[in-house]
Amino acid sequence: MTHSESQNLDDPVISIREVSVSYGSRRVLDEVDLDVHRGEILVLLGGSGSGKTTLLKQVVGLAKPDTGSIRINGVDITSCSRRELTAVRRRIGVAFQAGALFNSLSVEDNVALPLRELTRLADSTIELVVWMKLKAVGLADAARLYPPELSGGMRKRVAVARAWALDPYILVLDEPSAGLDPIVSAGLDELILFLKTAFRVTILVVTHELESAFRIADRIAMLHAGRLIAVDTKEQFQSNSHPWIRRFLDRQPDQVSGGIPEGLMAYLREIQR
Amino acid sequence: MRFLEQVGRSTISWAEDAGALTIQFWAVLRRLSRVMPIVGKKRRWRTAMQQMYAIGASALPMSGIMSLCTGFILALQSASELRRFGALEYVVDLVAVGFTRELGPLITAIAVSGRSASAISAEVGTMVVTEEVDALRVMGLEPVEYTLAPKYLAALITVPCLTVLSTLCGIFAGYLFLAFSIDMTLRVYFQAVAESILLRDIVLTLVKSVVFATIIVHVGCLEGLRVSGGPEGVGRSTTTAVVKSTFLVIVADLAATAVFYLMGWSAVE
Repeated sequence: MTHSESQNLDDPVISIREVSVSYGSRRVLDEVDLDVHRGEILVLLGGSGSGKTTLLKQVVGLAKPDTGSIRINGVDITSCSRRELTAVRRRIGVAFQAGALFNSLSVEDNVALPLRELTRLADSTIELVVWMKLKAVGLADAARLYPPELSGGMRKRVAVARAWALDPYILVLDEPSAGLDPIVSAGLDELILFLKTAFRVTILVVTHELESAFRIADRIAMLHAGRLIAVDTKEQFQSNSHPWIRRFLDRQPDQVSGGIPEGLMAYLREIQR
Repeated sequence: MRFLEQVGRSTISWAEDAGALTIQFWAVLRRLSRVMPIVGKKRRWRTAMQQMYAIGASALPMSGIMSLCTGFILALQSASELRRFGALEYVVDLVAVGFTRELGPLITAIAVSGRSASAISAEVGTMVVTEEVDALRVMGLEPVEYTLAPKYLAALITVPCLTVLSTLCGIFAGYLFLAFSIDMTLRVYFQAVAESILLRDIVLTLVKSVVFATIIVHVGCLEGLRVSGGPEGVGRSTTTAVVKSTFLVIVADLAATAVFYLMGWSAVE
C-alpha cells in the first residue's frame, strides 16, 4: 500500500501551495495556490511571460520552487527523495510544446520507450499497448514513420500517446494547440476530452488559446505576472470582471507594447495614398 | 577596479566550469557500468556500439591520413637536418618515438575533437533545445545514463584503438620516406622501430589517449547540456566544444609529458 493509494478520492490530485519562484531579482511566480481535482481538466491560461511554463516545470518536478510545496497524490515533490520523485513521475505523463519526440526513434519506438525502459513487460505486450495508444490518438498508420516526417498535429498526437503510454493518472499538456490550424487543433481538443471521459485521467493543460480552453476546460485558472488572478468554472470565468481577464477575453492590446503609435499610423495612411 | 572585477568574474566562471565538469564526470562514471555489455542493459550497449561507429570507426580515415601526412612531414624535416651529419638512420627513431609518445595520441585527439566534440555537443544541445532532455527526465529516465554514458564508453574504447592505428600510420609514413630516399627495406625499418620503442612508451600513449578521450567527450556533452536560447545556441556550443576540447587536450598533453619528463621516464636509452 503506497502513500498515494491510501489517499482519499476527494483530495486534490495536484495541490500547489504558496509556490514562489524568482529568477535573479525577478519574481516569476508569486505565492501561487492551485488544486487540481481527480478526473477534471484544468486549463491554465496566461499570456506570454505570465509564468505558466515555469509553473508547469514545478509541477512535473523539473525545477524546484524557492518556497512553497507541491503535492501530487499526497507526496510533496519539493522535499521528497529522488526515488519517490521517480515514482511520482511515472504516474504523470507530460506532452511538451514541440512534442520533444526522439528524432532517432520511429513513432512506435517513441511511444514504446517508457514501456521498455520502465516496465518489465514482454515485447509482444509492449507492441500491443503501443498499437492501442496510437490507435486511440488516430495514428496507427504512422507507427513506422520518424518524427521529422510528421506534421505538427501528428507530432503532438504522438507526444500525447507517449505521455499516456504508462497509463498515468495525470496528463500534463503544454500548449497542445499552439501553432496548429483550427481543424487540427479542434481534433486535438476532442482527443483530450476523449481521454478524460474514457479513462478518467486528470488533465492539466497549459495554453493561451481561448477557444480551445473553453472547449475542453472544466475549470480555468488565469495566471498574470506570476499571480493567479482567477480560478473558476468556465461559465464564471467568462463573466469575470477582472480588468486583465476582460482584456484577455476581448483581445485588447496592451497599452505599452501592443498599440501602434499614432505617428506611425499617420505615416502608414500617408504611404497608402 | 574594473580590472579586478573582470578578473573576479572570469575566475568565478572558470571555477563554475571546473565544478560542473567534475559533477558531470562522477555522475557518468557511476552509471558507466549500466552501458557495458553483460553487466549493463542490452539496449544501452547497442547505443554505445552505434556511438563507437560514429566516434571511432568513421574517424579512422581522417586520423589515419592526418598521421600519414604528419609522419611524412616529420621525416622530411628531420632528414634535411640529419643528412648534414650523415645520420639519416636516426629519422627512424625520431618518427617512431615521436609518434608513439606524442604525435599519435595528439593527432588522433585533435581529429576526434574536431569531428566528435562538435557532433556530440550538437546532438546533446539539440536534445536540450527540443526539450528531449526534459522529456527523459519527466519520464524518470536519467539523461546522463541514457544519452551521455554510451558516448563516454564509446570514446573510451575507440580513441585508444584509433591512437594505435594512427601511430602505426605515422610510423609507416617514416618507412615510405626512407624507402624512397635510401631504399631501406620494411624489415630493417621495423626492426629499428622495435628497438627504439619501449613498452613503457606504449603504455603511456594509451594512458594519454584515454585521458584525451575523456576530455573530448566530456567537454562535448557539457557544452551540449548548457545550450540555451534555441538553435543559435546549438551553433555556438559546437564551436565552444571544439575550441575548448582541443585546447584542453593540448594542455593535458603538456602536463602529462612534463610529468613523465620530471619522473625521468622519457630518457632515450
